Amino acid sequence: MTSRPILLVEDNPDDVALTLRALKKNNILNPINVASDGAEALTFLFDGDDTQTREPGLILLDLKLPKVDGLEVLRRIRADERTSLIPIVILTSSKLEEDILSGYRNGANGYVRKPVNFAEFAEAIKTVGLFWLLLNEPVPE
Amino acid sequence: MAQPPVEDIAVSRDWASARLFSAIVNSSDDAIVGESLDGMITSWNPAAAGMYGYAAAEIVGRPAIVLCAPCGEGEGRENLARIGRGEHVPHYETYRRRKDGTDFPASVTVSPIRDEAGRLIGASSITRDVTEQAQARAAAEVLQRADDLRRANGSLESFTYSVSHDLRAPLRAMSGFSAALLEDYGGVLGEDGQRYAQRIVAASEHMAALIDNLLRLSRLSRTEMHLDSVDLGAEAAQIAAELQEADPGRHVRFTIQRPVPVQADRALMRMVMHNLLGNAWKFTSGRDDALIEFGTTPAGDAPVCYYVRDNGAGFDPAYTHKLFSPFQRLHPASEFPGDGIGLAIVRLIVERHGGRVWAEGAVGAGATFYFTLDEEST
Repeated sequence: MTSRPILLVEDNPDDVALTLRALKKNNILNPINVASDGAEALTFLFDGDDTQTREPGLILLDLKLPKVDGLEVLRRIRADERTSLIPIVILTSSKLEEDILSGYRNGANGYVRKPVNFAEFAEAIKTVGLFWLLLNEPVPE
Repeated sequence: MAQPPVEDIAVSRDWASARLFSAIVNSSDDAIVGESLDGMITSWNPAAAGMYGYAAAEIVGRPAIVLCAPCGEGEGRENLARIGRGEHVPHYETYRRRKDGTDFPASVTVSPIRDEAGRLIGASSITRDVTEQAQARAAAEVLQRADDLRRANGSLESFTYSVSHDLRAPLRAMSGFSAALLEDYGGVLGEDGQRYAQRIVAASEHMAALIDNLLRLSRLSRTEMHLDSVDLGAEAAQIAAELQEADPGRHVRFTIQRPVPVQADRALMRMVMHNLLGNAWKFTSGRDDALIEFGTTPAGDAPVCYYVRDNGAGFDPAYTHKLFSPFQRLHPASEFPGDGIGLAIVRLIVERHGGRVWAEGAVGAGATFYFTLDEEST
């Protein structure tokens, strides 16, 4: 049950490494797919023949991404029936009100500002991961 | 027969009847005024009477210079000099003065007048009142400036965004990987190495806090103000209660004047009071008989001056000028924690309300912070 994969959409390799480290530190051992820009995330979600098997249990989405930005990725995921119900938590450096608002307006389930301090960052990742992958009842198949 | 130069108004039998010419002049919307070579007004059409307010009878024979606004007095002489050389003065913009002393923007053309023999006998000036055009131009300039400002604010906004996003990411990497070094390679690093890594972690967090505060300041300077009736005394009392509640172990006596009504932005003024009273609270932490006071006093040029006074640690008056600059601290963080942004916020808000802020104090003898608001808002 805990094997549903996480899709991490993040262009900064340092942040990717730190997020992976935080997940591992907190014993969140779900498979993790990393997309390093918005276009890659969309290709991953929509262009495989095996969309069904690739459907992540949680998407961690950065907002400021090369090519297709995070909000656009969010809109496209929400607009497609196959992915419209996947939990998406925005994980970003920005705490601009506009970003938070448009995140929610476009259907994000949560918005977390990445703390600079790693202990706090790891704690945030742990809380988000445990809630969405373990505690929260997923959408029935 | 040679044509007279087009710019010369030559009155000649062969060219047009004097009557027809006079009809054209009289029906013109532009003021058409004749001057002799010594600058006296020789003719005055109805439009000139309407524009300047002088009837022909009272102005003909007087010097044309009375029509010039003070800023354009030199131009009459210069025009006559050019006309004397037989030159035409193409239209230019200037100011003219009406009989009632008011000035108006005008577009003026001056041409030589010659007699039948071609001798120069005077000048004719055609004046158009361009008040409306000038107003339209001014309005367009205001719009343009507003537009420029909006654009500048827009680029500040995106600058703010990239500061917030782009600068935090590398800090997170510095802090995160130093923490990873400590956790995974603490033994290899040894005691000194661990301390260095901890310093990197602390410095990254400090810089992240600086960036956040810079962003706060930049946002504050751009938020829209909503003026409202605010009782600064009531705000002060509420903040005092909050401070006491957050730190119940301390005994501080508050003396707060009430009511102190002002017209100001409530949220921003609350921030001012919060920073000033919070500082007073913090810097009296070493005293058992701490006293914090809020009130008004007459001061110099402003009708009312507000102050927050404490009997705390005070400050060296030699550094008063540094108090209100962002990130300036007069006390070591170990003694009194703080980010050095509070008084910069106070100054920014007070200045946005058209007031000013200053301080008096001495080491160990407490501090008093004074501020004024715009006269209209008190």
